[in-house]
Amino acid sequence: MLEVQNLMVFFENALAINDLNIEVDEGEIVGVIGSNSAGKTTLMNALSGLIIDMRIKEKRRGGERITVYGNILFNGQDITETRPDDRVKMGIVLCRERHPIFPESSVLENLKIAGYLKKRPEVLDSIKYVFDLFPALPKLKTRKAGFLSGGEQQMLAIGMALIVRPKLLLLDEPLLGLSPMMQQVVVDAVAHLKKRTGITVVISEQFARPVLPMIDKGYIVENGMLTLSGTGQELMDNPEIKSAYFGI
Amino acid sequence: MRNAQLNSTDSKHRRKERIDRGIKARSSDIFALSSWREMLYLAAPRCIPIVGCLMLPLVLGIYWQKVLLSVAVFALLAISWDILEQSGMISLGQALFFGMGAYTAGVFNHYFGWPPFLTIPFASILGGLISTVILLPVLRLRGIYFSMVTLIIPLMLVRIVEATRIFGGTEGLSGITPLPSKWLELYLIVGALLGALFGFRRMMGSDYGLVLKAIRDNDRSVMNAGINVYWFKAQALFIASAIGAFAGAFMTHVYMFVGMPVFALDYSILPIAAAVVGGPGTLAGATLGAFILVPLSEILRGIGGLRIVIYGLFLVVFIVALPEGIFHYIQRKYHQFERWVEV
Repeated sequence: MLEVQNLMVFFENALAINDLNIEVDEGEIVGVIGSNSAGKTTLMNALSGLIIDMRIKEKRRGGERITVYGNILFNGQDITETRPDDRVKMGIVLCRERHPIFPESSVLENLKIAGYLKKRPEVLDSIKYVFDLFPALPKLKTRKAGFLSGGEQQMLAIGMALIVRPKLLLLDEPLLGLSPMMQQVVVDAVAHLKKRTGITVVISEQFARPVLPMIDKGYIVENGMLTLSGTGQELMDNPEIKSAYFGI
Repeated sequence: MRNAQLNSTDSKHRRKERIDRGIKARSSDIFALSSWREMLYLAAPRCIPIVGCLMLPLVLGIYWQKVLLSVAVFALLAISWDILEQSGMISLGQALFFGMGAYTAGVFNHYFGWPPFLTIPFASILGGLISTVILLPVLRLRGIYFSMVTLIIPLMLVRIVEATRIFGGTEGLSGITPLPSKWLELYLIVGALLGALFGFRRMMGSDYGLVLKAIRDNDRSVMNAGINVYWFKAQALFIASAIGAFAGAFMTHVYMFVGMPVFALDYSILPIAAAVVGGPGTLAGATLGAFILVPLSEILRGIGGLRIVIYGLFLVVFIVALPEGIFHYIQRKYHQFERWVEV
């Protein structure tokens, strides 16, 4: 479904992603695991196309020059230069890190904004579906999103990404800043989502412990380079992963 | 086809690399200058404006000398705007500072007969203080709210002068003592501009300036560091308004008149345009912007009615094509070079 071929991203002279190859099949949950500054967010921005917008903005204000090499194929079509809004229409939706919600709008309004391009009945249907998936949200639907807790904001952010019914959901560090209990709620929701809809998910995360058990395939990224790949179970059994991520 | 080319990892791509010049690295870090050329590299950007500003009055004709006065005044206002901007206060009312300085100098000269050498420094301080006190209650406002208040106050003051007829009302105060000579006028304002440019650039680069910039970036983090944000903002406001008040006081003695036009919108808008075209955040950019925009406006006077259209177009083209500002662009080209490398 998604194929990343020899992806390289430079921020001025710094190499953020170096010759990365990733393959995602339909209906899989794929994990991209790496520590801070591994290049996870850059990869997610490259997949969602946000990097194109960043590149234009930085160029205009004379900031860091962003250069991208390599190809990204989605269902066989080269989307390397496709704009982020067009990628959303193709079904690739990114849920960015640090729960990006509209703090001044209510939970319901946030979900409606996210579904602006869809028809009203479809949006109402999707909202119901999101509320089913995250039972904590319906009670809060008139509350301003800025006043929600971190975990609730993260659920809302994932819900907003789901409103447009994506084919490929990109989750960038969805567990960041959440308690272990809340992390489990989000992980369970993603697993449940896959079971129910068969959606394809790419999840980038530095917390390997909650993520590895639920993924079909995982890529370990360090300093922008792919260091290890395999199924979730293979990675969990790997002694290097055990010592680096589990501390055992 | 393209995929086939990219299948091998050693495929040849070329990218432009931006690298600091060696001299830049040496002079800004370990400071090991080894030749006259390197010393010139460091000294030229400082010497060119100084020598240029000191020479200009000597080579310009009478008309362009007057334009130079105007350039320097707008450059000072642009520097004052830039200091406020760097401290997180977007002001739309430099005319308030300018007008306060102008009226203070005018009143003390007209009613009490103080000479220009007393009124100008006194008006800079008092005008700055009055402006700061007027704006103190709105220091807690951020963003557009602060801007709106600064925009409205000078417009309000015009009406107050008109309605109450204080300080000459609509007629203004005329017969203000001029400065003793044309050369003194020119070198006073040029000297003040150079002093403000280099002095405040140094200030903004010091730890004190860092605090001001941090307030713009995230005032809550600054509070968290145990710093009284409002006290620092008030200081920045006083510094900026004193610069504006100095320019106003100076112009009162040049025109030998002070009246309602000192609160005109021109004094608020043109400095912002200058800072944006030149590149905000450096003070030098604001000065450079004034040195481009004010003479341009004078040159375009010959065109007549279309002058504002062409002037506006120039501004739009500059802001769209070079949003970083001319100064940032020149600075980057001066310190860095580019070369093609294979990846």
